Amino acid sequence: MNAPLHSGLEYWLNAPDDGPDLAWLDERRHGARARLSARALPHSKQEAWRYTSLKSLLEQQFTAIDEPLSALQPEDLDTVLIPGFESHRLVLVNGRYAPELSMLGELPAGVRIGGLRDWLQHDPESLRGQLDAALGDSEAFFATLNSAGLDDGLVVWLERGAVLERPIELIHLSVGLDEPRVAQPRHLVHLEAGAQARLIERYVSLGEALYCTNAVMEVVLGRDAVLKHERLQMESRNAFHLSGFYLLQDENSRYSGINIGLGARWARTDLNTRFRGEQAECVLHGLYLAGDGQLLDYHLDVEHAVPNCRSEENFKGLLTGQGRAVFDGRVLVAKSAQKSDAAMSNRNLMLSEQAEIDTKPQLEIYADDVRCSHGTTVGQIEPEMLFYLRSRGIDASQARRMLCLGFAGEVIDQLGVEAVREHVAAAVGQRLT
Amino acid sequence: MTGASAVEDIVKSEYEHGFTTQIESDTLPPGLDEEVVRAISQRKGEPEFMTEQRLKAYRHWLTMREPEWAAVDYPRIDFQAISYYSAPKRPEDMPKSLDEIDPLLLETYNKLGIPIEEQKALAGIAVDAVFDSVSVATTFRATLAEAGVIFCSISEALHDYPELVKPYLGTVVPYTDNFYACLNAAVFSDGTFVYVPKGVRCPMELSTYFRINARNTGQFERTLIVAEAGSYVSYLEGCTAPQRDENQLHAAVVELIAMEDAEIKYSTVQNWYPGDAQGVGGIYNFVTKRGDCRGARSKISWTQVETGSAITWKYPSCILRGDGSVGEFYSVAVTKGRQQADTGTKMIHIGKNTSSTIVSKGISAGEGRQTYRGLVRIGQRAEGARNHTQCDSLLIGDRCAANTVPYIEVKNPSAKMEHEATTSKISDDQLFYCRSRGLTEEDAVSMIVNGFCKEVFNELPMEFAVEAQKLLSISLEGAVG
Repeated sequence: MNAPLHSGLEYWLNAPDDGPDLAWLDERRHGARARLSARALPHSKQEAWRYTSLKSLLEQQFTAIDEPLSALQPEDLDTVLIPGFESHRLVLVNGRYAPELSMLGELPAGVRIGGLRDWLQHDPESLRGQLDAALGDSEAFFATLNSAGLDDGLVVWLERGAVLERPIELIHLSVGLDEPRVAQPRHLVHLEAGAQARLIERYVSLGEALYCTNAVMEVVLGRDAVLKHERLQMESRNAFHLSGFYLLQDENSRYSGINIGLGARWARTDLNTRFRGEQAECVLHGLYLAGDGQLLDYHLDVEHAVPNCRSEENFKGLLTGQGRAVFDGRVLVAKSAQKSDAAMSNRNLMLSEQAEIDTKPQLEIYADDVRCSHGTTVGQIEPEMLFYLRSRGIDASQARRMLCLGFAGEVIDQLGVEAVREHVAAAVGQRLT
Repeated sequence: MTGASAVEDIVKSEYEHGFTTQIESDTLPPGLDEEVVRAISQRKGEPEFMTEQRLKAYRHWLTMREPEWAAVDYPRIDFQAISYYSAPKRPEDMPKSLDEIDPLLLETYNKLGIPIEEQKALAGIAVDAVFDSVSVATTFRATLAEAGVIFCSISEALHDYPELVKPYLGTVVPYTDNFYACLNAAVFSDGTFVYVPKGVRCPMELSTYFRINARNTGQFERTLIVAEAGSYVSYLEGCTAPQRDENQLHAAVVELIAMEDAEIKYSTVQNWYPGDAQGVGGIYNFVTKRGDCRGARSKISWTQVETGSAITWKYPSCILRGDGSVGEFYSVAVTKGRQQADTGTKMIHIGKNTSSTIVSKGISAGEGRQTYRGLVRIGQRAEGARNHTQCDSLLIGDRCAANTVPYIEVKNPSAKMEHEATTSKISDDQLFYCRSRGLTEEDAVSMIVNGFCKEVFNELPMEFAVEAQKLLSISLEGAVG
């Protein structure tokens, strides 16, 4: 018998059991569930939850989605799509893959993309080794909760040497229902040796609905594989957003990730990277903009387990109104990981009296021949800069906006697709007026 | 010389200051209960309020749990196996001058290279030498008295100036603060009290040499320094301990209070016994040090050179309460052999236009393990607060570890704060450059390491800076190949 879970989290798991009937999958769900009931809820005495309280999340009594939402028509997506952006589009509605809204288009040989549920139905064995491959035995509470409620999501699989030119666009669309719902999608991305792809992951909603997302993505990059990954979190301002990203990199693989965080009322993002092969590289950029009533919490965990790898983390934050942000980055260099190169930076611009930033960039180093550094700054707009612009006839609010966009631009400019870049720049600009 | 064998060499090198002086001690049997707390207070002839405060602390301590968050490993401490009081014999017959001091004791100091007379003459330093738990020698009292500065043991101060001690003791580090500070509040044996009156610039550097001597005796020092408005004092603390087998607990508490425009400079050179090659027998150094910048424009500066102890757990902090107050922390910490250090600082910005500087240099060799753990908190009303933090780690050998765990909490938009950290080893290029100019490998390393630490050494008073550099060179002899 299963012991009940804490504070109503039980209801996160009560999705109808109409998925594929697989003994090994059930076993994993139950295992995750058992681990959860044995563990206390995250609390502020734990380092990883020091600055973020679960109180507002637990007050909500979210329940799992019990049936797919079928009433949406392709036109309903119009407000959500990025004009001029051509992609292999996959849409998840409230955590369920919606093929009727997706536009996969033609895929080159060696590329397979589909819903997790369907995949488990038709080819379960191929996923047996993929599921939890990057997550491993992570103790992260909400990732384990995701495992316990595993239902649907997306699978992207590129075979050896496959190169996908057009970006994959993954749209998490949330639609408000009569009671607050939680969706727990799980995505698996596997690039075999030499494969290359670009993945754009978007979290959006129809209207300012109240809901919760608890997504987990696992990515495994084979030898020489290259993945460019852009995550745009633009959830409803009433939403709660939890996402866990777990990356495992083989020899000489390249990962470059850009995280944009604008939405949600309460968001917690965990980005985890582990190098399994030498000469691999991981670059993580981030931009978060926390305004009134928002809490955006980022946790980075980069593990150099083998020698000769490079990691770079560059996160920038803008805080307005009563916005709060947390940045907790950790770089671990294991004993054997000689010649590691790691640089972490977190810079914040405080734009209001009531904003708060808590930042904690950590280095944990057990090897001697390494180059590791981290830097953090917190400041406000320099009066000299404002003066410069004002003396050239630009009014104060416009000048402030320009300076903020300049600050954010360093990250936004990294976005690889022009249409996406413009879309993000416009969204950031709008928030700054 | 290869790196590995060189590291072996220092790890194996005997502790230079390892000897024990045979002096009979008046020691309480091991164990801790209310009776022991009362006995300590009674032996020291303390006023009633102190006995009560100690008991209050002891009762609170019973409800507390040992902290486990620091990145250090050590066997659990059996607090009932420690003796909580040890005083040199003849407590009623305290020496009035150097002539009266036990010649054996004087010899001990001479062996340690701190001849009191010489220091009096050469360095112009008043020495309040602490031998175990009771101060036995205080010099230069007259000169200081002339300036109105009180510099004495805390038990003496409780006797002679209770009205000066009572309003301050325990106000910066309350007994409820943490496990070890609470233990200290219950059983503190002795320590130093410094009071600098309004507008006085202390005419000399004040210095206390600690030395742990009696076997199995935990040392619970209590230091309180009060600098009244517009005054200045520089205080030096240095220590070295004889070799022994069992781990020793040292849980000191240091409280600094700086009023308006006052400045306190607190320097430490710590070189306690680090334990043998297996890490057995070293000192546990669990210290709570905190300064309170109460007045506007006051300044507290901590400088530390930490080369000893098996385990160090120490975070000298500044509470920047007064507007325009300044906090500084300069640290060099060396861990080698099996030493572990979890050290750093806290800068709590409360007042307007407060500023703080943190410079931390960690050197880890052999199987040493080191963590910088620091907090910079800028409160909502700390308009115009400024912080600059730099923590660099130097790794020597592939079995050591260096961690950096900074916490930065900002609640005011006008704050300007910067944090930088790097971790690296001595680069081959640097070594090659020096060697191509005829330096031996050892000299080159010593030079590079000293350069790495220079920013901190510059902050030390001159005599200390020389000592610290020597200590560093000895500590790292042959550490790099």
